[in-house]
Amino acid sequence: MNEFSVVGKPVLKVDSLSLACGSAFFTADFGVKDPLYIAFFYSPHAHAEIKAIDDSSALAMKGVVDVFHSGNTSSGLFTTAGQGYPEPSPYDTRLFNKTVRYAGDIVGAVLAESEKTARAAARAVAVEYTLLPPLFDPEKAMEGDAPRIHDGDEYAPLPVAYRPEQNIAGEVLFSFGNVEKGFAEADFIEEETYNTHCTSHCAMEPHAAAAAFDEHGRLVIYSTTQVPFHARRIVSMTTGIPLHRIRVVKPRIGGGFGSKQEVILEPYVALAAWKHKRNVRAELTRREVFTTVRTRHAMRVRIRSGFKKDGTITALQMDDLMNTGAYGAHALTVLSNAASKVLPMFNKIPNMAFTGHAVYTTLPVGGAYRGYGATQGYFAFNQHVDAICRKIGADFVEYVKKWHIREGETSEVFRAIGEGTEGVSQIVRSCKLNECLDRGAEEIRWKELRGKQIRSGSVVKGVGAAVSMQGSGIAMVDMGSASMKMNDDGSFNLFAGATDIGTGSDTILSQIAAETLGVPVEMIVILSSDTDLTPFDTGAYASSTTYISGQAVLRCAEKVGDQILSAASSMKGIPVGDLSLGKGGKVINSADGSEIPFSEIACYSMYSRNQFQIQAQASFFGEESPPPFMAHFAEVEVDMETGRVRVVKFVSAGDCGQPINPALALGQIEGATLNGISYALTEQYLFDAKGKMTNNSFWDYKIYGSLDIPEIKAILADSSEPSGPYGAKSISEIGINGPAPAIANAIFDAVGIRLRELPMTPEKVLAAIKAGR
Amino acid sequence: MNGSFFVNGKKEEWSFAPDAVLLDVLRNNGYTEVHRGCGEGECGACAVILEGRLVNSCQVFAASAAGQKITTVAGIGSIHSPHPIQQAFVEAGAIQCGFCTPAMILAVFCLLQKTPNPADEEIRKALDGNMCRCTGYVKIFEAVRLAARRMSSNE
Amino acid sequence: MNRIEWYFPETVDEAAALLSREKTVPHGGGTSLVKSGLSSFSGVADLTKLPLNYLKMEKGILEIGANQTFATVAENLSNLCPDCILVAALGSAASTPLRNRITIGGSVSFFPPWSDLIGPFSVLEGEICTEGKNSGTYDLSSWLANRTVQQGTLVTSVLFPDAADWDSCYYREVRVGFDYPSFTVSVVARKNGSKIEEVRAAVSGGLERVTRLSGIEDGLNGKDLSQLASLDVQKMARVTFGRKPAGSAEFLSEIAAVHVERCLKSVLLGEGESR
Repeated sequence: MNEFSVVGKPVLKVDSLSLACGSAFFTADFGVKDPLYIAFFYSPHAHAEIKAIDDSSALAMKGVVDVFHSGNTSSGLFTTAGQGYPEPSPYDTRLFNKTVRYAGDIVGAVLAESEKTARAAARAVAVEYTLLPPLFDPEKAMEGDAPRIHDGDEYAPLPVAYRPEQNIAGEVLFSFGNVEKGFAEADFIEEETYNTHCTSHCAMEPHAAAAAFDEHGRLVIYSTTQVPFHARRIVSMTTGIPLHRIRVVKPRIGGGFGSKQEVILEPYVALAAWKHKRNVRAELTRREVFTTVRTRHAMRVRIRSGFKKDGTITALQMDDLMNTGAYGAHALTVLSNAASKVLPMFNKIPNMAFTGHAVYTTLPVGGAYRGYGATQGYFAFNQHVDAICRKIGADFVEYVKKWHIREGETSEVFRAIGEGTEGVSQIVRSCKLNECLDRGAEEIRWKELRGKQIRSGSVVKGVGAAVSMQGSGIAMVDMGSASMKMNDDGSFNLFAGATDIGTGSDTILSQIAAETLGVPVEMIVILSSDTDLTPFDTGAYASSTTYISGQAVLRCAEKVGDQILSAASSMKGIPVGDLSLGKGGKVINSADGSEIPFSEIACYSMYSRNQFQIQAQASFFGEESPPPFMAHFAEVEVDMETGRVRVVKFVSAGDCGQPINPALALGQIEGATLNGISYALTEQYLFDAKGKMTNNSFWDYKIYGSLDIPEIKAILADSSEPSGPYGAKSISEIGINGPAPAIANAIFDAVGIRLRELPMTPEKVLAAIKAGR
Repeated sequence: MNGSFFVNGKKEEWSFAPDAVLLDVLRNNGYTEVHRGCGEGECGACAVILEGRLVNSCQVFAASAAGQKITTVAGIGSIHSPHPIQQAFVEAGAIQCGFCTPAMILAVFCLLQKTPNPADEEIRKALDGNMCRCTGYVKIFEAVRLAARRMSSNE
Repeated sequence: MNRIEWYFPETVDEAAALLSREKTVPHGGGTSLVKSGLSSFSGVADLTKLPLNYLKMEKGILEIGANQTFATVAENLSNLCPDCILVAALGSAASTPLRNRITIGGSVSFFPPWSDLIGPFSVLEGEICTEGKNSGTYDLSSWLANRTVQQGTLVTSVLFPDAADWDSCYYREVRVGFDYPSFTVSVVARKNGSKIEEVRAAVSGGLERVTRLSGIEDGLNGKDLSQLASLDVQKMARVTFGRKPAGSAEFLSEIAAVHVERCLKSVLLGEGESR
């Protein structure tokens, strides 16, 4: 029940008209004066030492200015992961590594007068390699005779488990109670192994960056970044350019989903620009995006539980092996989330053990991708729960309703597993998962379809469900801040570090400010993500913007409100206690009901007496990370003769607390749902025997389009989070966790076979049907 | 080589390489609302209207398009005076990151010219070459229906 | 970089003369030349000004000019003979903006393994008309058997003797809607009451670019509809494939056969082909 003026309303996204009319600028659209261009050259080998680099032919080409590589450019170890400093990811890469660790690893960069010349010259660089044995199977990575991928001075900046001598990039160990005792008490023990795969974000805008000098010789970097402040820091660190000489500006971003929470191109354009004192651009082709940018981590989840006939789980054991690829960006943290966002869901299990390892292989690099480990963990968890229900004759929906974590409850897991640092204990203050389950089950017609296996020719119907939770920012780590100032006409400039990557954070932060001050959204003019002009924000990841950046904006707006009341009080000689903020940009005098327009107060404070600029700033970091919850339902049709799975309808019902903007929240759910569906069924990386990706284009990397979409229904539960700004939590990631397990559970409902490996292609489904598993 | 192009009603005279594609020539000459998403004719973000037909500008040689009429999304409406389709996309919440949006709007423009009141199957087909990774297409379809309603009743 | 000249011939003779030059490549507006690039050529003959953008049906014979795009063919035929298999095939190939550029001439010159035209072309027993060095009329097998006939030669049109006379079913195997097919199945048939006058079936995308299922055709031509049930169609419809990203050779072969059976049932018995 919503008593707000602007919060909770489907306010039009503040940038959508400019995007619809083509007046908005993305990174590659910015005109930069007289630029040079960078093109990279890459390793064709999965594992090799660079023996020699002959760049003479490239340098001799007309228009080539420079060639950078490990032979002529040294740089320190760092991580490309866009995380808070010091990062929980190992420092295991350099701008130009002397060892290449996957087919597609950057070897060097050509700088030239045109992009065409740069790319032609990149092809002309001759590199000699000494081949090293590759490692493609993560299950073999920790064995004694496995090739060692990192054997130099790589290190972890935080005191976390890091054992590159065993190819271990991250490790999470956690237990409470006594699982052996718990298994002994069980009536049944169920153990399965699940395998998820690596996929690409496929944001429609490829990665790009431009570094240009301003009139003072400072370097301005435009970049497709989700993390402008981390980018500034990492550029300074890797290039030696003083941080105060760098400005990072984030323009419109054409989608990120985690792929742009990585500082990849910026150091190279900055390095080249700073050396030659010329403006420099770089833009990746779509083919390069597939292998140069990060992927979702592939993960093997082994899950074993003991349970009684009545469904009580007496012990749960989970063993994850995550393939982090050639470098360890996000390795520990994605692995951690596979446990920390999954295991609390059933918080009454008395005995639990989790072991997780992230291992190096000579394959493309895993990184941040919407869901961030929870997606992988929930593929296993939800099918496992479905299997338990089948065993004891319980209904999945009723079973989850009985056992999931509730408002007022906590889980040992919150305290135990953080993101590189200690976890943070918390009590769940809002959880409307039951409402999500009930409304979703009704929408999908759960009772009518479940177990009925309605058949039409060779096509059988089934329905399946899944549940998930995520987080809202990283507790005690993520910080956002905002500042505001008031203008003559009663409008406000809002400066937020928070990063709008198409999610609409500019809009919802404006809504929060507008709600607090009682003005229409049009009176808030937002400027975001410019490291010179806006205060710090960790950036767009961990579903943090609404909850953390939103709280910063709210507190900032409250301070501004206080200043307005104070100025009105001195202006009119009315005690401050009689004054309050009204609706529509005015202060109300409770004594006589009179109104003072904001514009009058603004002009008074700027021009008349005791002049001062009404302005404030506020920062916020979360002491908790209140989880959103979601119930996901799939109705599928399985063609028993061809293995083709068609999703007929998908329902995602979520509790994100109070949605600041329901249209935007629904949009996040809808988009995440479709992404999750093609993740489950069609997307995959295909490799040749040498570890080279063979399908690095949309020609053979398939995502769902307009011809494929099922009926998608997104539902928002009625909820409010006490610790959130106007009751909000978060929504942007969680939707992607449900489709793979819900579809798998629906396939089981239809044809009685369980697919434990992604993607669930027709060939795999058909083979499983024929094998009768 | 040189060629004239009639872009959004304006005659442009440009120099370009014989193997240049229309996408690059448009972008290099300021029409940056035409986006490069893949350069291979798969994502549709570069689509423009060429002599009345929706085409992927990355798959058209500029030389082939010389002398022809080209429309980008800026040619059907502006921020001061948006086209009903642009307005419908805004109101239906059909724009998240907006990278696919200019081309998507042109695809809808072509559809509604031919089929003012399209059924769902016709909408699916008309947008089959325009990838969107943000929206799940749900609100895009709502925008198409909204635009169709408004344009046929001349609201 | 070598100079590349663009030519815009306005007559077929002009075009043929240009193509007889070394290193001059024809371009109808499709995507194959954009993808392969111009670096091995010194001239491009842009064919779009030639008077080859027509489609006509006279006395049952369908003639399509080489400059017709997949989109215009599908549109024109959906008015003239909406049940023609070419409407389904060309209307679902590639995507909307690509169908607006892929030409009949280009498609016929290229006939890639993923062609949506080759299956229907095969079952409709179309012919390819050319002008230039090797001018003449070619049937599909002689066209495919000898690629050198295309040198210095311009495809001007394609002919289908009786495109409108058939009931048809077309299936393309794709991973998502906008995808090149791993295989296609084309079935056309003429019935007279419960008698099958003639049926033709082809599978494209196998190791042989296109395969007519003559065993099935012989087993059904002139027979009663009930004969369909007595044939082991799935066994007879097996075609050899290579591995593709969409699946292994064995898998593709197996499900192609399933779809052949479904198409036959759809055309002959009116049973719905699943999506």
